[in-house]
Amino acid sequence: MAVSRSACMRGGGSSALSMEKLCSLTELQQLEAAYSQLCAEEKVVDVELEELFSQQNAVENKMLSLQRMGPNLQLIEGDAEQLSGMIAFTCNLAENVSSKVRQLDLAKSRLYQAIQRADDILDLKFCMDGVQTSLKNEEYEQAAAHIHRYLSLDKSVIELSRQGKEGSMIDASLHHLQESEQRLKVLVSDKFDAATKAGDLPQVERFFKIFPLLGLHEEGIRKFSGYLCAQVAKKAEENLQLALGSEGKERRAALIFADTLTLLFEGIARIVETHQPIVETYYGPGKLHMLIKHLQAECDRQAEKVVDRFIQQRDYHRKFQQVQGSMMRSSSTEKIEPRDLDPILAEVTLMSARTELYLRFIKRRVLSDFEVGDSMAAEDVKQEHQQSLDKLLNHCLLRCTMQELIGYYITMEEFYMRESVNKAVVMDACEHGQLISSMVDDVFYIVKKCVGRALSSSSIDCLCAMINLSTTMLESDFREVLCNKLRMGFPATTFQDIQRGVTSAVNLMQSSLQQGKFDTKGIETNDEAKTSFLVSLNNVEVCSENIMTLKKNLENDCNKLFSQDLGSESAKAKIESCLADMASVSNKFRDLLQEGLGELNSAAVKPQIKPWINLFLSVSHNIEEEEFNDYEANDPWVQQFIVNLEQFMAEFKAGLSPVIYETLTSLLTSFIALGLEKVVLKSTFSRLGGLQFDKELRSLIAYLTTVTTWTIRDKFARLSQMATILNLERVTEILDYWGANSGPLTWRLTPAEVRQVLALRVDFRSEDIKRLRL
Amino acid sequence: MSMEDYDFLFKIVLIGNAGVGKTCLVRRFTQGLFPPGQGATIGVDFMIKTVEIKGEKIKLQIWDTAGQERFRSITQSYYRSANALILTYDITCEESFRCLPEWLREIEQYANNEVITVLVGNKIDLAERREVSQQRAEEFAESQNMYYLETSAKESDNVEKLFLDLACRLISEARQNALVNNVDSSLPGEGKTISYLNCCNFN
Ligand SMILES: Nc1nc2c(ncn2[C@@H]2O[C@H](COP(=O)(O)OP(=O)(O)OP(=O)(O)O)[C@@H](O)[C@H]2O)c(=O)[nH]1
Ligand SMILES: [Mg+2]
Repeated sequence: MAVSRSACMRGGGSSALSMEKLCSLTELQQLEAAYSQLCAEEKVVDVELEELFSQQNAVENKMLSLQRMGPNLQLIEGDAEQLSGMIAFTCNLAENVSSKVRQLDLAKSRLYQAIQRADDILDLKFCMDGVQTSLKNEEYEQAAAHIHRYLSLDKSVIELSRQGKEGSMIDASLHHLQESEQRLKVLVSDKFDAATKAGDLPQVERFFKIFPLLGLHEEGIRKFSGYLCAQVAKKAEENLQLALGSEGKERRAALIFADTLTLLFEGIARIVETHQPIVETYYGPGKLHMLIKHLQAECDRQAEKVVDRFIQQRDYHRKFQQVQGSMMRSSSTEKIEPRDLDPILAEVTLMSARTELYLRFIKRRVLSDFEVGDSMAAEDVKQEHQQSLDKLLNHCLLRCTMQELIGYYITMEEFYMRESVNKAVVMDACEHGQLISSMVDDVFYIVKKCVGRALSSSSIDCLCAMINLSTTMLESDFREVLCNKLRMGFPATTFQDIQRGVTSAVNLMQSSLQQGKFDTKGIETNDEAKTSFLVSLNNVEVCSENIMTLKKNLENDCNKLFSQDLGSESAKAKIESCLADMASVSNKFRDLLQEGLGELNSAAVKPQIKPWINLFLSVSHNIEEEEFNDYEANDPWVQQFIVNLEQFMAEFKAGLSPVIYETLTSLLTSFIALGLEKVVLKSTFSRLGGLQFDKELRSLIAYLTTVTTWTIRDKFARLSQMATILNLERVTEILDYWGANSGPLTWRLTPAEVRQVLALRVDFRSEDIKRLRL
Repeated sequence: MSMEDYDFLFKIVLIGNAGVGKTCLVRRFTQGLFPPGQGATIGVDFMIKTVEIKGEKIKLQIWDTAGQERFRSITQSYYRSANALILTYDITCEESFRCLPEWLREIEQYANNEVITVLVGNKIDLAERREVSQQRAEEFAESQNMYYLETSAKESDNVEKLFLDLACRLISEARQNALVNNVDSSLPGEGKTISYLNCCNFN
């Protein structure tokens, strides 16, 4: 910078003072000034020059090094050119190599193909030779293995090979092979049939294993199934003949058809068990259902035969018609005794149970086989398999046949239940001292037995139908029976009863004997009617309980049934729904109980109690000291009232179940509280009369507390508050208990009622009462 | 039961001759499909579908019964607890229509008195093979105090409507009953009309 500035100065040739200006100077003073200025300028220039000179060395050094670099740069340029040439060359080379590799790859794969083809051709020849020798030596497994090898050869390779040079030879080989394949197929099939005919199981199994090697899975399974089915049929026929022959002799004769059916199922199960491993090993997983489909067809046929003989031998249809006839009450047919149906009902349910067990077994086996076989299968294949299994299990003839049998069974079981229940009702008796009568226990015993038998069939539809029918029977028929008993009512209270209520029972006995007036029989029947009513109430309550118990027990039993196998969700839901219906009948009995109690309360309890309460009115509470003391010695009302109550209720306490009695006393106390309130409001009180009433009320509450288990104070809250009011010294004293001063007391009386009660006191002035601010 | 997640629960039972399409109607409604190769029902099938109507959850328990005579004793046991019956016939099958009076006798005998019955003529997609005219069916339904609807399980015609209308009817019926029952005093046995005991003559 310094350089440029000095250069500029030099180039400009100028100092601050120009030549002309200097020349024009005339005054010394001016010249001196100019001189000194120039001197100063010179000094500056000197310094600048000095500076520049000091830099000269460095500049020269730099120039030197630059000059030295020149040749190097030329070298570098040459190197760079060389490098670029090399890179281009390498690139070319690489491309060349890779295309060679590609060619090599192709060549290699072709080589492999060629080798494969050669192998295949060799194999083909080997197979052809092998088949022929194997066939000659009757080594069918070997021959089949060759065919299997041939079948698994790539068809296009074979096709290609035929076009090659050795085409004609290969053609010939192929032809031979195909011929051998056909021959082998026929041979194996024939041999299998022969083995079947001879009943030679090892040979049967031997050839069974060969079919899949020849690609004949279906045929193999079909043929093998045929063999197995023939065995099943033979055994079943024997068993059936045995059963028919042994009829009546054996201990289990009554179950002989169920047993025969069981043998059939067990036989098939054993066959599945034994042969599943072979099928799985030689045919692969997921093929079991093919075998089972064929077996099931035979099972259907044989089961039908057994069922047919059962129907024939046991007169099943005739019995059903008889039952149907009896149910329709067209009693032209001979009456059937329910008990006589027991054996046949037991046998049918056992047959059904065995069928269910067997079908569950089949289901498990096929499902687990599918699980392995279909693990990689597409969703629709799985679904198709599921559907075909469903069809197999739910629509097989066996199931239809059993369901039909169950259909008849249900009608007969219903008849059994109804008829037995009718009998229990007719023979109903209540032993002295028993709260309930015999029919309740009997009826529930019968229902439990019938539904239990239906449950033992393991058939969900059968069980549900019987639950439904018992629900219907209990809800309409049996409840109607109890309803009718209650409808007869609790006998209206007679004069004698009132007498007995007032005086003691002994007195009544004596008077009636003395006067000889009373028709003791009349009293007895009256008593009978009473007992009958109370027993019916108890019966209704027990029914309601029993239904819940029955439902719970059935639920547990069903859970057990389901825990044994893969019970479907919908089956569970079915049973749940039917059981819920049954449980709701329990509530209907509860309602009936409440109505019966209401009837008892209004027909017997209220009319009896009411006069005793009204007696309160005949006892003056407008009393003075003397009368008060007199009352103290001879209680005028409450003691007798309590005795009357005690006597009156004793009958109910003895005759009703604790729960019902409890409810009845609750109704009773409510009624007493209400009634007493009414008579109190009709009375007048002195101060001492109020005290007397307070005493009376306390006695009554104390007594009632002992006869009920819950607190009755609440029911008597209003009366207690009335007593408090009637006991006041002054009208204004009420304010000590009212409003802000009420403390823990909650008033059940309205202000108007408080005034009304205050007014009952003869010594309170109505002005004072009116003036009260409540 | 009160703990479950629904406002109403109704039982609907489908009845009618074999092959008229009961199972197909139920499957169409509950699963939205027309089942191919549907086998005859043996006994009873059970399905549940919860629908919502005006913000209320209605659980429909649908019982699909077998039409075949031989399974009758199983299916009849379900009539009594049914809130509604769907009596189905096949419009292309005169015979299935002619059997209706027989079915009505069954209903009379086994169902409860309050049951709602809907008559359904199914398979209207097969119009060209119709054997029972709509008018004839309507007249019959009217004479028997039944609702009538024609459906196609195959084409999904009126199937939704059938069940939803029925659900609506059942709700209003249930509401009415609740009203009647609530008049009763809540105090047990107190001041209550004794309906069970008074409904029939005193002996
Ligand atoms: N075209 C047509 N075919 C139907 C319709 N509904 C059912 N089907 C056919 O009618 C046949 C019987 O139908 P299902 O639903 O099994 O009859 P179902 O009343 O349940 O018979 P059961 O169970 O024996 O009482 C089947 O082949 C169905 O494909 C329909 O709406 N249109
Ligand atoms: Mg069906």
